[in-house]
Amino acid sequence: MSYFSLKYLLVFLLAIVVVYIFTPKKLKRLLLLLASYALFLKVSKKLVIYLLLSTLSIYISGLLFKKIDDKRNIKIKGVDKEKRKEIKEKYKSKKKIILICCILFNVSFLFIFKYLTFFTNIINIIFSSDIKVLKLLAPMGISFYTLSALSYLIDVYNEKQEAEKNIVKIMLYLSFFPTILEGPILKYSDVKDEFEKKSKVTYKNFCFGVQRILYGLFKKFLIADRLNMFVKLVFDNYTNYNGSTILLGALFYTILLYMEFSGTMDVVIGSAEIFDIKLPENFKQPFFSKNISEFWSRWHITLGLWFKNYIFYPVSLSKPVKKLTTFLRNKINARFSVIVMSAISLFAVWSLNGLWHGAGFTYIAFGYYHFILILLGNIFEPLIVKILNKLKISRQNKVYKFLQIIKTSFLVVLGELIFRAKDLTTAIGMLKSIFTNFNITKINFLLGMDSKDYIVLIISIIIVFIISILKEKNINVREKISEKHIVIRWIIYYALILGIIVFGAYGPGYDPVEPIYADF
Amino acid sequence: MKNVLKSIIFMTILLILYEIISYSLITNKENIEKYGIRVVSNNAILTEEKNTIDVVAIGDSLIYSSISPMIIWNNYGYTVFDLASAAQVINDSYKDLEYAVDTQNPKVVIFEADVLFRNPKKVPWYYKFTKLENYFSLFNHHNNWKIYLFNFLKTDTTNNIFKGFKYINKTVSAKEKDYMKKTDKKTKIPENNIKYFEEMKKICDENNIKLIIMSFPNMRRWNYSKHEATLELSKKYNLEFIDFNTETDILNIDWKTESRDGGGHLNYVGATKASNYVGEYLKKNNLVEDHRKDSKYNSWNEAYKQYEYKLKNN
Repeated sequence: MSYFSLKYLLVFLLAIVVVYIFTPKKLKRLLLLLASYALFLKVSKKLVIYLLLSTLSIYISGLLFKKIDDKRNIKIKGVDKEKRKEIKEKYKSKKKIILICCILFNVSFLFIFKYLTFFTNIINIIFSSDIKVLKLLAPMGISFYTLSALSYLIDVYNEKQEAEKNIVKIMLYLSFFPTILEGPILKYSDVKDEFEKKSKVTYKNFCFGVQRILYGLFKKFLIADRLNMFVKLVFDNYTNYNGSTILLGALFYTILLYMEFSGTMDVVIGSAEIFDIKLPENFKQPFFSKNISEFWSRWHITLGLWFKNYIFYPVSLSKPVKKLTTFLRNKINARFSVIVMSAISLFAVWSLNGLWHGAGFTYIAFGYYHFILILLGNIFEPLIVKILNKLKISRQNKVYKFLQIIKTSFLVVLGELIFRAKDLTTAIGMLKSIFTNFNITKINFLLGMDSKDYIVLIISIIIVFIISILKEKNINVREKISEKHIVIRWIIYYALILGIIVFGAYGPGYDPVEPIYADF
Repeated sequence: MKNVLKSIIFMTILLILYEIISYSLITNKENIEKYGIRVVSNNAILTEEKNTIDVVAIGDSLIYSSISPMIIWNNYGYTVFDLASAAQVINDSYKDLEYAVDTQNPKVVIFEADVLFRNPKKVPWYYKFTKLENYFSLFNHHNNWKIYLFNFLKTDTTNNIFKGFKYINKTVSAKEKDYMKKTDKKTKIPENNIKYFEEMKKICDENNIKLIIMSFPNMRRWNYSKHEATLELSKKYNLEFIDFNTETDILNIDWKTESRDGGGHLNYVGATKASNYVGEYLKKNNLVEDHRKDSKYNSWNEAYKQYEYKLKNN
């Protein structure tokens, strides 16, 4: 089920809101859990067992960690420092065994459902073998809830998070219906208080939630689905088009992806907001980024943070990497050792990031493309600073900033081209065409869209752009609207609702974008 | 209580605005210009003068890309109307036929076989929006805004000068491939589609209309197992079936120069061939009459002039 479907918005969500209002306070959380499992059962049916197994595994592991920690704390009381260290190590290794088992248990599900086919194919190619390729249907949102599960597990292991005793809360944390399909990837600390507080559906929450959902629908139906017609034609048969049209196709795809995914997040966050549950943001105006690192701190924020917390730091601080950097610091210099350390950690992050997006070479290439760009950015940073100083150009210079944004956006567009291409050969062919067969006067604009579509598209993008600028300036657009006179407010709402109905690219003749991130 | 009242007022105004927009975009109206109509989509044929259409061609984009009624009019004097919409499902084909026989008395119905294989249950927008048709028909016709707004732009929006044909002057060549490789397999026609097809056949029988199934050139979606399934259906109901994909020598389509999108649809050159074949077929079988000299059909002659003008200036 898509979050944009009428079934979700007007039947499922609305029904839960109504029931939630009349549910006693004590049972409200249970209702959300039942709704979440009902949605999961509807989509993934008996595969719900894997969600339950993941939930139980982290719940039990969390309690075991707590038990071990409690025992350790008793043992170390009144013991000297040396002995204390020894006891701590002993208990830590016990916890480590549980941690590794639980991680393997959860990751194995993810591997079997998402990557088994891919790796079997690779083995068959390399060894010319004929191992049967199993094609399994994955449980809904497995990539998202597995990462959330691991984050809880590791945080409790590291004693950054207290183990949760109430299984209902852990179950809700992993299955919460607005987030299960496409994230955001939650840390337990993000939602613990939200699930615990006595939330209720108020008029304000309802209006704000619906407002946010409408903005998501606007992005999806007026922009993403309209662009899909063009994007599909170009990416399905790129040899029919020249480099300039292919570049426009890649640009349109990047806009489409942003509008579709951030629009989904608007629906997700808006849905939770109706129940007075605040979820973390997943986007922060990514196209205002001045370099690729910044872009990834503004695009799919919760995924970026996950990789930073659970891959980048652990790899950077691991014993072998530490040893290597110390060695390099002594033998060469400090800067070189830092670059090597970040290269190793970034390599791990982007290998996994690419794979997380999908089991395919285009996704792996997409990951390494960003790895190379970020690494090059780190390596050349001192040189760029030198050049700028010599030329007396300030980094705060508006023209310089603008050019940086354009450069970053261009690099992102090329990255998304690799991401969307049906295979690596196609991606290379498309990129080659952009750089060898580019003629701006020969762009074929009218692919799946007529000139009237372009008018709606441009106006819609301008609206999103203006809202993004205001948000970038820390102006709370929604609060501003809510301060306006009721007549102005209602005109805005009517324009939004009716605008979506009339100008939306849906129905006969349109081909909607499938929920892109739901497949990950 | 205040908030409940506010919500009720909000929803009431919203419904009123919705109704106003629905009325403006959907309601059938008279032609606003001599040969331009306000409401296209499936209601277009209602704006034609009563009992003037000889042939109705029903189906998906293959119809409006392959049959140009104006070419047939100019060369043969037959009045053909394309009742086609993109990715049409047979439930809509049935409705279109109902519309057509409501005001017209066609002698022939051409039905594009591609529609037989499009399962409405697997067309996401169809079930989402068509179910709501009776209450919220704007969801299905919202795209009519293109007829009213931004008319300073030249667009390819259909109007009745084209009689349902969609003129797209573009060539995207396709690589030759054997997409009609023989096989014993037969694609299953969904039960819903067979049911609707039978209903369409019933309407034709009741109105003495000759129903012909055609499959226009389509390298992308058509194949031999669909051909076989359609052939079986046509034999069962004793209908003529012309498949331009197997009988390639009828049109001799050159996919390098005669497709608008790399093999999915014909371009204007291809459509000219297909339209002339349809005209020739109707003539050879003596199915309809030449109306070019009949003053009742003067509007078609004038429409043709405008059609030629539009083509030259596109």
